[in-house]
Amino acid sequence: MLEIKNLHAKVEGEEIEILKGVNLNVKAGEIHAIMGPNGSGKSTLSKVVSGHPEYEVTDGEILFEGEDITEMDADERAHLGLFLAFQYPVEVPGITNKTLLREAYNTIARANEREELDPLEFEDYIESKLDIIEMKDEFLSRSINTGFSGGEKKKNEIFQMAVLDPKLSFLDETDSGLDIDALKIVSDGVNKIASDEKAIVMITHYQRLLNYIKPDHVHVMMDGKIVKSGGFELAEELEANGYDGLQKEFAVNGEAQ
Amino acid sequence: MSEVIQKSTLLDYISGEIEPKGTSISIRAINERGRATLNEVAFPTRKDEDWRFIDLKSITKNSFVSVDQAGTHEVGDISEYYLPEAMNSRLVFVNGEYNESLSSIDDLPHGVVVGNLADNADHDSVKSYLGTITNYEDDVFAPFNDAAFNDGAFIHVAEETVVEAPIHILNIFTDAEKPFYATPRLLYVGEMFSKATIIEEHIGLADNVYLNVPVTEFKMFTTSNVHHARIQRDSKQASHVSRPIAALDKHAEYHSYTICLGAKLFRNEPRVIQNAEEVDFTVDGLVLIDGEQIADTHSIMDHRYAHGNSHQLHKVVVNDTAHSIFNGKIFVAKDAQKIDSFQENRNLLISDTGKVHTKPQLEIFADDVRCSHGATIGQLQDEEVFYLQSRGLTEQKSRELLVYAFALESVESMEVESVEKMLLDEVIKYTNRDGK
Repeated sequence: MLEIKNLHAKVEGEEIEILKGVNLNVKAGEIHAIMGPNGSGKSTLSKVVSGHPEYEVTDGEILFEGEDITEMDADERAHLGLFLAFQYPVEVPGITNKTLLREAYNTIARANEREELDPLEFEDYIESKLDIIEMKDEFLSRSINTGFSGGEKKKNEIFQMAVLDPKLSFLDETDSGLDIDALKIVSDGVNKIASDEKAIVMITHYQRLLNYIKPDHVHVMMDGKIVKSGGFELAEELEANGYDGLQKEFAVNGEAQ
Repeated sequence: MSEVIQKSTLLDYISGEIEPKGTSISIRAINERGRATLNEVAFPTRKDEDWRFIDLKSITKNSFVSVDQAGTHEVGDISEYYLPEAMNSRLVFVNGEYNESLSSIDDLPHGVVVGNLADNADHDSVKSYLGTITNYEDDVFAPFNDAAFNDGAFIHVAEETVVEAPIHILNIFTDAEKPFYATPRLLYVGEMFSKATIIEEHIGLADNVYLNVPVTEFKMFTTSNVHHARIQRDSKQASHVSRPIAALDKHAEYHSYTICLGAKLFRNEPRVIQNAEEVDFTVDGLVLIDGEQIADTHSIMDHRYAHGNSHQLHKVVVNDTAHSIFNGKIFVAKDAQKIDSFQENRNLLISDTGKVHTKPQLEIFADDVRCSHGATIGQLQDEEVFYLQSRGLTEQKSRELLVYAFALESVESMEVESVEKMLLDEVIKYTNRDGK
């Protein structure tokens, strides 16, 4: 479903590369976890894959279902079925969750020549998704993330994911800032959404999220590259030993290989 | 050339004499007073602190004639501008002159007078208060209105009377052969325990040049309550210089709301004067400008007695090479303790060439008050745009939605449903333009 080949990227207008040759293959039905220390490029990878205009791809390519999306705008990628759950969701006072999601849902439907939903149909549809994150009706009428607690913001991201029904979702540190109850709700939500036709890439520091959402593949990212891949046991190993051992193993002359 | 302008009075930009035209003694007296002041006060230039950011070319490059010399066009059907809530509480003025056939003032509660000033010139409230509320120092525009008006709107709400329907004062400006001036006037007197909603609207039907100089006076007695919406949709070639002012007695509540959408030059100087203890007022505004429009708001919240609450939220969206100026003063006199006053000016620049100047000012002489102010000038955040784009919205739609959201807060406080809907449509129309 997703093929990332030798991806190099930097912040637009700056010299230093953040991604230094990332390779990743994600198939339908798979759940991947990308772990790594702060500053290793994990969040940048999720933003570059989603089409954040702040980043410039200097080499390599991103293929989604065989199509090269490297130069596409963020909205075009969303139309194809890509979704990013933000680490720090933006607050938009004045626009309700419902308004944004209806506009987004129908824009994606139009792009895919599917039928749009009128306000009443959409109301039924969106309410059917509320259970996934155990939220009440009034959540829909609140301005996007405005005045939301950290946990509510993360739940809202998963709720949006449920409504927009993407094929591939990047979850950027969805576990950060969550207490244990919220973590369970968010994880349950993701598990309910996951299916054989979809794929999920989780970006996280810690193993604790992976106790609730079991990944098929775990990757370790350091200094802009994926340096090691494995199964769930790799996450357990990292939890036990930290990133220090791996940093020593892959650092040559101060640079990861 | 600038030397000439500096020495000029507003009368130099008017063709012909401004003769007192008021048919009543009270109006003629104000005409004379205005004329005397006009001969003394110089037309403002950029050398005057309060005018230093504003380009008055849209006034000074023209010569304005009176409406009867302008060759004005017929007004035609304007029913689309009528508010369904105010079908029987509407006064229409065309190019500044009262139009009885387009007005409808049936079915108002007993004790409410809604009509034109000329026909009500003998009313005690007109004789007592007309021209007494305005107090603009070294000003040429209020005196110009004083000198030139011979009619206007008059509203008197008797004691313990609540007017449920909004009263719609519709100032319509038609196309004309020559640039003309108009001096709409409104006097509102609210007696004790009265309540009303006033929608004062200025609409230009064509794209012509005219000079609109309205003066509105609100005399509010103890425990009276008014919601006053001013909607400015003048021609994009027009100049609109307005002087809305309210004087509040004890326990009075005055909530004003100015929407600026039209005019090439908009200079608005709202003032609220606290004349007794325990009053509550707001001086909110929303400005949506583009092209080469200039919108300049100089407001004064004048606290002279203790226990006053006041609030001002002035929001501005600037596109193209438009220019917004905001100068908001909060005055708190020495004995005006326990004042709670808040002022905020938020500006959103959606083009690289737009300009914003903002200057909130506090002048506080009392020592036990809570007053604060703030001003922000921002552009749409890339992160916000990306967030919406990542949900599938195009970049253009994302920007429109964010501008819409910014403006929405102001529109939602409008209490008349059809006005709120109209304003939402205007906001959508504005944000649907290229917002990059």
